[in-house]
Amino acid sequence: MEFQQKQLANGLVLIGERNPAAKAAAVGFFVRTGSRDETAEINGVSHFLEHMLFKGTDRLSALEVNEAFDRRGAQFNAFTSEENTVFYAAVLPEYLLGITALWSELMRPALRDDDFDMEKNVIKEEIAMYEDTPTFDVIDRCRTLHFDAHPCGNSVLGTKESIDGLSAQQMRQYFSQRYAPNNIVVACAGSFDWDRFCQTVESGCGSWQVQTVERTLTHFDGTKKTERLGKPNLKREHICLVHTGVSAQDPKRFAASLLGMIVGDDYGSRFYWELVDKALAEAASMHFGPMDGTGMFYSYLRCSSDSAGAVMETVGAIFQDLARDGVGEDELNKAKNKVLSALVIKNELSMGRLVDLGFNWMYLGQYRPVEEDVQAVKAVTVDDVNALIRELALGSFTQFTLGPA
Amino acid sequence: MAQQTDKHILDNGMILLGEPMAGVESVAFDFMLPAGVAVLPDGVCGAANVASDWIFRGAGSRESRALGDALDGLGLHRADSVGSAHLSIGASLESSNLAEALALYSDVILNPHLTDEQFTPARQLAVEGVVALADEPRQMVMLELRKRFYPSPLGRSTVGQIEELERLTAERTRQIIKTSFNIPQTIFTVAGKYDFEAVCKQIGEAFGGCDGAVPDGVEIGARAGQYTHIPNDGAQVHIGMMTETARFPDDDYYNARVATSVLSGGMSARLFTEVREKRGLCYAIGARYHSLKDAAGIMCYAGTAPDKAQETLDVIVAEFKRLAEGMSNEELDRAKVGLESSLIMQSESSGSRAGAIGSDYYMLGRVRSLDEIKERIEATTVESIVDFLKRNPFEDFTVVTIGPQEVRFE
Repeated sequence: MEFQQKQLANGLVLIGERNPAAKAAAVGFFVRTGSRDETAEINGVSHFLEHMLFKGTDRLSALEVNEAFDRRGAQFNAFTSEENTVFYAAVLPEYLLGITALWSELMRPALRDDDFDMEKNVIKEEIAMYEDTPTFDVIDRCRTLHFDAHPCGNSVLGTKESIDGLSAQQMRQYFSQRYAPNNIVVACAGSFDWDRFCQTVESGCGSWQVQTVERTLTHFDGTKKTERLGKPNLKREHICLVHTGVSAQDPKRFAASLLGMIVGDDYGSRFYWELVDKALAEAASMHFGPMDGTGMFYSYLRCSSDSAGAVMETVGAIFQDLARDGVGEDELNKAKNKVLSALVIKNELSMGRLVDLGFNWMYLGQYRPVEEDVQAVKAVTVDDVNALIRELALGSFTQFTLGPA
Repeated sequence: MAQQTDKHILDNGMILLGEPMAGVESVAFDFMLPAGVAVLPDGVCGAANVASDWIFRGAGSRESRALGDALDGLGLHRADSVGSAHLSIGASLESSNLAEALALYSDVILNPHLTDEQFTPARQLAVEGVVALADEPRQMVMLELRKRFYPSPLGRSTVGQIEELERLTAERTRQIIKTSFNIPQTIFTVAGKYDFEAVCKQIGEAFGGCDGAVPDGVEIGARAGQYTHIPNDGAQVHIGMMTETARFPDDDYYNARVATSVLSGGMSARLFTEVREKRGLCYAIGARYHSLKDAAGIMCYAGTAPDKAQETLDVIVAEFKRLAEGMSNEELDRAKVGLESSLIMQSESSGSRAGAIGSDYYMLGRVRSLDEIKERIEATTVESIVDFLKRNPFEDFTVVTIGPQEVRFE
């Protein structure tokens, strides 16, 4: 593996990790913008804008854009979170430069009114689709409840009302503020030629103007509220818990991801043995979600209405046990093995590698070879995890439930 | 490294296949047991799901908890699935732990404890899985669609049926496991970093002495087909539609695959363009090829607001029918390059290769090389696809909708 980096005069950062043995190459434009950078009035604009980048430029229509991707056999898409918007494509190495040039061009979209109006329908269908997906919907609602007025509680999709109220002009304004070169990282992983990659990005993006872009980072401890919403068409209780966690920059993030694995991995975790193995809950998991300057753990539990009381009692007892006795050496080693093998398997794919490469730069401003993360996971001790448990106070959390009306 | 397929057949008939991959540290393996939903007896739909949970609740010298801890200690990621023909039990992990993992899996498959005490939660979880599906209409519509599209019993629900699960006893499930975990009919696959000789020796020692009867063929009944609506007071109407096409082992397979790709390969493909880009009817719209050994179809999903459901379905059906009128060479080229690229990119993953070589062998009796697949895709032409569609027109559609409103469909 060979890492290289470059910064253009306008602040745009280019990074690349070359793996000449790879069968593919993946390129991504990582924009540091998401729903936490929105006001209530324009909630949903980051995600809507992500859709609009596929609608073309002054030179290209939407259909021409889609054809240009498909001609190169690209596996391409984009995603928006609370704090990032990422555009990516994985291709065979011979198509990498063409696809990089295409993305560079699309990052300066036309944002036409008629495309905006048509795409509004699609966005509202996406909102409706997730309404019919309680596993997703409950986590979204719980995050909003947890973060209250803190910007990390903003919904990524927005609501039907906020999308209806949004104008193309507001979107253009938001775009011009957030898609500045100094707020974007272009990353590439897999089999590619670094110099030619840089030339391609530079010729597409070199003329973009630098701007002042800000994000206020405040940590928020969470509301610790409990709410439930009944829906007549649901058969099961979908319970989400959100705990305060550590940030993506915090050195304790490795201990945090191991703690998530110990408490809530799909198999072999404390949730698994106490809830799923005994068939008290049909699904039970906990994940660590590091964010910019803050972080959270989110748990998801699915069970019958009759079992919900017993499930929450058991969850409470699991947290109490952890607070009292901490985790054991054996338990930690098993979690390490699982985290490490997942890391290896994920990074064998060009696309998987791209995501870690890009986010490490976005959050830490540094390159971390996979080996460095492997060492950091191995170095976590029982004391580290137990100190984190004490710090986090697992017994207090925000809870949202979707269930039968 | 040139692509290579390792193959060894044990004396009892069990097939061992491998695909070594350069530059990876991971390995994935899969036991394809002939215990899929369609090959099990009538009246026990869901037994394979119960079995796949129950066998992990204690095996060999280990009680349930000790077995779970041992598997966890290897850092392996379990990947079990129930299909029409097979129950697949597998995992991916770092290659240095492969021998230990295979030893544990040999116990799970050959010496599970299957205690009455552990049967109750295993069955309960399977029942709960079926109930919970009702809360996910997007998944449920595709299961209901398969049920009605594939001739009975091929389309049986892969999650099970509540009434049949509730009637299932521990004794009956033990019998089913004994008969259907038929080792001579099992395909074992491994891909990534491994030593094939060592793997063969280990699997041979564990499984070489097992016997099993040659199973009777499955008697295939009629297709239910037609239109079914399942009321659900949700936000969208979820539409599933499926129509027959060439099977995986058929000569026309590549024509069918490329035709599906013209319809729904990428964002410039016809369904995405006509349904989403031009009309804004849906967020999720797509079709994919799906084949069992004995029947195949193109399955399409769309989710849309109740007042747009009719138009969505009408546009989809019209696009399927319009395909036989032909396509441009550019459209065809995009479909081909999309298929070829995704094929090569999937081959970066050991898990996906372990699955692919097993499915090839089951369907064709051999493993296709990536070069062969590429050549066959390349060989399709506008003429070959149009000719295929004229001989096999899309005219019979099975449709299922779940949501607050029905559509009209004849």
